[in-house]
Amino acid sequence: MKERIELGLLYSRSGSYSLISEACRSGVLGAIAEINADPGMSLSFVPIERDPQGNTDAYGPLCEEILRESSARHVIGCVTSWSRKEVIPTLEKAGGTLWYAVPYEGFEASDHVVYTHACPNQHLLPLLGWAFVQAGRRGYLTGSNYIWGWEMNRLARDVILGAGGEVLGERYLPLGALEIDRMIEEIRATRPDFILNNLIGPSQYAFLEAYHRLGQEDAHFRAATCPILSCNLTECELPAIHPAAAEGLIAAGPYFRGATGWPDAGRNFGSSHEAAAFSAVHRLARLLSGHPGAETESLADLLAHAPGGTEGIDPSTHHTDLPVLIAQVENGAFVPRERLGPVAGDPYLAHGRDAVVPGAPSLRVVS
Amino acid sequence: MKRKIRIPNLGGARAYLLHRPHATVQALERQLRAIGLEVVACWPDLPAEALSGDFVFFDADQGYDAQFPWKPGEGPMPMIALIGSEAPGRIEWSLEAGAHAQLLKPVGDGGAYSALLIARMAFEARQSLSTEIADLRRRLDERQTVVRAVTLLAARGKSEAEAYDQLRQMAMAWRVSFEVAARRVVSSHDKQGDGNDRRDLG
Repeated sequence: MKERIELGLLYSRSGSYSLISEACRSGVLGAIAEINADPGMSLSFVPIERDPQGNTDAYGPLCEEILRESSARHVIGCVTSWSRKEVIPTLEKAGGTLWYAVPYEGFEASDHVVYTHACPNQHLLPLLGWAFVQAGRRGYLTGSNYIWGWEMNRLARDVILGAGGEVLGERYLPLGALEIDRMIEEIRATRPDFILNNLIGPSQYAFLEAYHRLGQEDAHFRAATCPILSCNLTECELPAIHPAAAEGLIAAGPYFRGATGWPDAGRNFGSSHEAAAFSAVHRLARLLSGHPGAETESLADLLAHAPGGTEGIDPSTHHTDLPVLIAQVENGAFVPRERLGPVAGDPYLAHGRDAVVPGAPSLRVVS
Repeated sequence: MKRKIRIPNLGGARAYLLHRPHATVQALERQLRAIGLEVVACWPDLPAEALSGDFVFFDADQGYDAQFPWKPGEGPMPMIALIGSEAPGRIEWSLEAGAHAQLLKPVGDGGAYSALLIARMAFEARQSLSTEIADLRRRLDERQTVVRAVTLLAARGKSEAEAYDQLRQMAMAWRVSFEVAARRVVSSHDKQGDGNDRRDLG
């Protein structure tokens, strides 16, 4: 008889980033189904789900509700950094743990969070290194007006200036806003070598379409001479982007459809969001399996006592090793152009913050 | 004023934690290690090696001056007070001890990173102000020398403005400060006993 362990799920099934939530959620449910059907696992997971519907203020109370009304001490969820920061005080109070499966801007290592997707040394630094070689060092920075865009662009500016490049502009849009004309005009006027896209949701989709139209008017603004780079764009959002506008987009991530090696699951995933969420649930299951009572332990105790080791979770930062793939959309699918790694998550960039130039052997592994 | 600061890379920096063994030390140590620092916990005294440290966190509740291998307020690195009891006397002591930032106890999941950055910026700002003040003070002390030098140069038939300009050009030619040039003019005059010989003065 398997031990039934309740597992919190906190994903928004509506709102501006629901495509990402749904990708993560399907990774979680896929992993739960596998674990529950696996006779070799001594436990089964029972999902306890709450839906904040894209409302940031709902995350804290709903996380608290999961921790109060169920026996769940582990919650997997949150997409935006803003929502993650909203639930951390609740987790601290209840001794709970959040498993966070989307790329983020780094500079965090909470005692109550496991970060199973990439942080900047695993996405932005190698992506800029690639862009410097392939496109040039003159960048234009865009973002949605909240912490992801601000911090990513701040770091990008540091890295670009540190490499002797130039930042030709930096502009933000409120979440959900579609007024992208000014950005496009600035890009047209400054003719950068690349654009760093930290917009999310509908703003991003509108921007990509407008940029595609700009490229039809002026050939400089096409992927070959002025690519758009993203650190959080995956297959899960391609359906929302006009196919012609998606063509040529560049993204960094630990996985793209069809990639092998990570997560070593013997199956394909729709996106790295799905893969990272799937891998998070499996790591948790392996930490808890055959270790009765472990489900009520704090994350620090769980990692310290796990009989089989920490399942690749660094006990000091709670980040993981991930491969770095740089891929480009070609005929509607991401095709890898470069592969590094695995690279250890270094949330505070303690090992340096220079652009990682692909192919430089000394930079392949951060240990 | 908007200041663009380049966020320092803290990887490999060494922090000394001057606090008795306590859950606060553990929580702080965890945060600092995650940020990439090396951590040395000590109590009750800060060892002499701490002089080469990059940061010092000290207990504001039970701390006292003799714990530090330097005079109060003269620590050579950013210092962060760990404050439990917010009593005015303890806050006053922390400031006199040289706190550049503070972190409230009990220390939990956060706070260390912002304390490190704020302390570092405050320390650097204080350093550069001290250097600037010392320089201004030195120049103030040299006022009399400058007046004498200008008077000596003017005694050779120049107007005061011309003498001042000549002194400025000497300083540039010798690649020294205005005050140092003035001192040379005055000491050269003092050595010769007579200000009319211009051989050394270009």
